[in-house]
Amino acid sequence: MSWYLILALIAPTPLMALAPGDPAPVIEAPLADGDRLSLARLRGQVVYVDFWASWCTPCRQALPALEKLYRQYRDQGFTVLAVNVDTERVAADRMLKRIPVTYPVVFDPEGIWPARYAVKGMPSGYLLDREGTVVLVKSGYRNKDFPQLESNILKALETQP
Amino acid sequence: MKRYWRVTCAAIWLVTMSGCSTVQPWQRGDLARAEMALDPDPLLATYRQHVEFSKEAASGGASLGGGGCGCN
Repeated sequence: MSWYLILALIAPTPLMALAPGDPAPVIEAPLADGDRLSLARLRGQVVYVDFWASWCTPCRQALPALEKLYRQYRDQGFTVLAVNVDTERVAADRMLKRIPVTYPVVFDPEGIWPARYAVKGMPSGYLLDREGTVVLVKSGYRNKDFPQLESNILKALETQP
Repeated sequence: MKRYWRVTCAAIWLVTMSGCSTVQPWQRGDLARAEMALDPDPLLATYRQHVEFSKEAASGGASLGGGGCGCN
């Protein structure tokens, strides 16, 4: 019996990936100025949670694309919550200096939130409806994904809670 | 005796498994750091390799061995 116990303790725990229809874990992490931002504060808006890092090449395409979508649809109740997972803050700051964004960016060098979301690749995006339910899971990003992402955002914005 | 083998096998298995680790997608930045590379300076490594196979013809390499001048 003790052998099974040892095995159970050592075997890596499989992470349950989020799927459409699941409630999104409520992210709470510090912003650049040190204030904490909670996903709960964005409830009532359509939120795109974007996990990104400075070393991830497709993230360099995703950041300006999300900025464009944010500027275009923020008046309709859309926002982006970018979660940076760089272990070194200076790398993230350098990237943000090169690709400035106006939507909120929180920093999670410990990787607590990508683990809770069971992120499968970088970048990973989760589109949440106004009630905080996942409506789209997006792993990776290419410029040709933009129209699909935009149409999903529009669909989520049209849906009333 | 049977117990001895079980304990030995368990110890070997534990030591082996402790070296395994799953790198999560958000942790890959650490692997991309320069200090994690086998050759921190790829250009210098290529140059050294070139000099080495030029001077040590018997060791083979990406080209023919030369006379030791390092010029081929």
